[in-house]
Amino acid sequence: MRDRSLIPMLGLALAAALVASFVYRGEAKPERQREKIVAIFKTGSASNAFWSSVRDGVESGAQDYGLDLSIRSPRDEIYVDEQIEIMKGAIAERPAAIVLAACDYHRLVESVREAKAAHIKVVCVDSFIETEDADAKIGTDNFEAGQTCGKALLRCLGKGSKVAVMSYVQDSSTAIGRESGLRNALGGRATVIGTSYSSSETDKAYAQAKDILAKESSLRGIAALNLPTLLGAAEALEESGRSGSVVLVGVDDSAEVMRYIEHGIVRDAIVQKPFNMGYLSMATVRELLSGKKPERYTNTGSVDINKANMFEPENQKLLFPVDGN
Amino acid sequence: MRIRRIQSTLTRAFALIVVLTIVLLGSVSLSFLKRTLVDAAKASTMQFASQLSRIVDNYISYMDDISLVVSDDAGVRAYMEAPRAASGQDRAKIVRFLSSIRKVRRDIDGVFLLPLGNGKPGVDIGAIIASSPGASLNSAYDFSQYPELLGDLPVSSAHVENMIDGRYPWVISLVRELHGDSGTLLGYIQVDLNYAVIDDLCRNAQMGLTSPGVPAPRDSGYVFILGASGDIVYHPRQQLVYGGLKTERIAEILALRRGSITEKADGRDLLYTARPSDKTGWTIVVVSYLSELLSDSRRAFYTFVLLALLCFAISSIVSSIVSLRISRPIESLRRSMQEVERGNFDIDITVESSNEVYQLARDCDIAVKKVRDLIEQNRKDSEQKRILELRALQAQINPHFLYNTLDSIVWMVELGENEEAIDVTSNLARFFRLGISRGSEVITIRTEIEYLETYLSIQKTRYKSKLDYEVSFQPELYDYRILKLLVQPVVENAIYHGIKNKKSPGIVRILGEREGRTMLIRVTDDGVGMGEERLAAVRALLATGDRTAFDGQAENALSGVGVNNVQERIRLYFGSEYGLSFESRQGAGTTVTIRIPLIAKGELGEETDP
Repeated sequence: MRDRSLIPMLGLALAAALVASFVYRGEAKPERQREKIVAIFKTGSASNAFWSSVRDGVESGAQDYGLDLSIRSPRDEIYVDEQIEIMKGAIAERPAAIVLAACDYHRLVESVREAKAAHIKVVCVDSFIETEDADAKIGTDNFEAGQTCGKALLRCLGKGSKVAVMSYVQDSSTAIGRESGLRNALGGRATVIGTSYSSSETDKAYAQAKDILAKESSLRGIAALNLPTLLGAAEALEESGRSGSVVLVGVDDSAEVMRYIEHGIVRDAIVQKPFNMGYLSMATVRELLSGKKPERYTNTGSVDINKANMFEPENQKLLFPVDGN
Repeated sequence: MRIRRIQSTLTRAFALIVVLTIVLLGSVSLSFLKRTLVDAAKASTMQFASQLSRIVDNYISYMDDISLVVSDDAGVRAYMEAPRAASGQDRAKIVRFLSSIRKVRRDIDGVFLLPLGNGKPGVDIGAIIASSPGASLNSAYDFSQYPELLGDLPVSSAHVENMIDGRYPWVISLVRELHGDSGTLLGYIQVDLNYAVIDDLCRNAQMGLTSPGVPAPRDSGYVFILGASGDIVYHPRQQLVYGGLKTERIAEILALRRGSITEKADGRDLLYTARPSDKTGWTIVVVSYLSELLSDSRRAFYTFVLLALLCFAISSIVSSIVSLRISRPIESLRRSMQEVERGNFDIDITVESSNEVYQLARDCDIAVKKVRDLIEQNRKDSEQKRILELRALQAQINPHFLYNTLDSIVWMVELGENEEAIDVTSNLARFFRLGISRGSEVITIRTEIEYLETYLSIQKTRYKSKLDYEVSFQPELYDYRILKLLVQPVVENAIYHGIKNKKSPGIVRILGEREGRTMLIRVTDDGVGMGEERLAAVRALLATGDRTAFDGQAENALSGVGVNNVQERIRLYFGSEYGLSFESRQGAGTTVTIRIPLIAKGELGEETDP
């Protein structure tokens, strides 16, 4: 009799203790199992300010969102096959998600599909693929960036001026977007004399720009569509001493680009937000892994920077990275 | 209905009271503790912010001292007064002096002399002297906004310094105006502090915020510094803030100036503590996570929960024991009563207790014993009834009555009185049929009358004219019930002791009447009657029912066992207020009154229709 009525009471106390200890443990959270994420960029080159900024953002985000991140890249963005191999290797490791900056708009589609088939979430960052196979994409609206570029050119040029387009990799989504945006903005008001591809190599861009400047004496404008290309073009233009008559605009920034702007070699640089891109890609991965539905496309935006506005407090923050973050 | 044990009810009630008390006390004291802790946390954080602001101020003062050293240098003053007059050698000397300062203090990013020249800053570009030998000044540097760029304060906010070509470091600039002896403004001395210094300073401070053993950066607090206009001078997640990925409540903090506010961010409670710095116009903001600050309260909470559980367990046990002590006697009483329910009355109900339960048990014990006695009495009564019935039967079949009647019949036959013989014989047969057959104890008055008349007519055959009789009942009584063989023995007694010994003829009257709920049957004879002494003996016998206590006198007065048997049966069935009563006078006759209750059909149960 005594036992029979004591048992439920003690049972209740025990249950309460269990609940309490459970809550307690929940409070003293053990280190959460960090999901494995592989980020595959276009280039691992440390000298590329854009990609090191993306890398900073991704690392910062991975830390904040508790993700176990590993970053891989082909030697450079023209090595599409190498990136496809890296994708294969990553898929074999079965990470929870892959963050991909596709070197090729078409050829990475298959790799993304393979990843999806292996139940790996795929987020495209900066450079996208032809299809909508990825779970989400984050990057600059490159068409818009190209348009801004074109508008900046038109501000400084007379009607019908000759303009050279210096692009980088023909089948890269970003290059395609920027160039079509640029051409769209220029419309009939400027004559595009041709597009060159620098393979994202500064030296190649330098040579190409030098060549164009030599051939086209009536050239009034150059649009260089990414950082290495812009640097090459700026170097060539500075050397030629024709910065007074030839307007150089471009996409992306670095300290060097800023110096060129200060000295009037580069008129406008359309600056992307690579840190945000990287950081937000991790936020998106976290949302995907938590079963939420993030935005399919996040436009990180771009800003038109020139000599007049580059030291405005807002732009300082964007243009000059602070050490120690 | 589900039966709840007293024990479990009590235990439950105890537990409820304990739990309620614990929860109430606990929540009140915990909220009090929490408030106290929050206040303490606010105070200590404010103290921390003040310390940090003092460190920053000291640091800035130190930097100011350095700019003072520069401004006091004779070479510098000479240069500032007439920059164009300076020779290359003079300039080189100044550069060496400035770069030595920079070398000693690694936290100084650069020292610049900006002479006014023609009265406007920056116009005389070539005259600027930088601390870095060999570095070319930025030819594109726009001095038109200097010193507006730096604002009104001697200390700027964090900004990108682009005075040197191609270098874009983040610095904090300290600007000192240099006045000539006549008080005219000669120009500015600018000391650029490496931004990393502030970073280190705040990072080190942040370590102080972090509890030892809790290295997770998300859980510790952090420090950031706001400039006078609300721009962020320093933030540990600078890149996120600059990229617009993280926002701080700058407007609220600026409005607050000094003090604490709590805000919710990412589902966590944050405590913002702002403390303006005295010298720089900056505001030091310490952000701490309330959950971290309240870890003591959380610990208190868990301790409390554990204590509560302990109390709960103890109270459960104590209440079980207490209720057991209360319920055990009841339980034992219950078990005794269950025994009784099963029909066992031969038990002693004793309970080890000293309270009401004991009294209850004692009462139960008494009740059970009474019931036991009653059952015993009932059993004895039933036995007695059976004996008496048998005796009544024996009395009825009085052998003398039978012999005498049979003798009469024989004589009648001999005398050729065949008609009479047939009458008597058939009456005798009816008499026995009515008396013996019909196993029932209870008969109607109607049947009783028939029976009496049969009996009397048989006796009349014997006694001839010596006996006369009358049977008269109120007709309304006919359907009431009476015990069999109640009246006949009394009538027999009247004949044998009253009429038989009388010389002259006698009459027996049997009158039945109703008196309220009682039926009175009077058997009256005008026979010899009884003397005082005999009447007293008879009455005494009837009162006690103890035949053995008397000599044969009373026994003789009542024909055998018959009349006494009648009295006992009436008392047994109906109680002592009923029974026989005798009235008699010597020589005048006797009246016996039979007093029984009025019994309707079925009231005595064991009855079959006649």
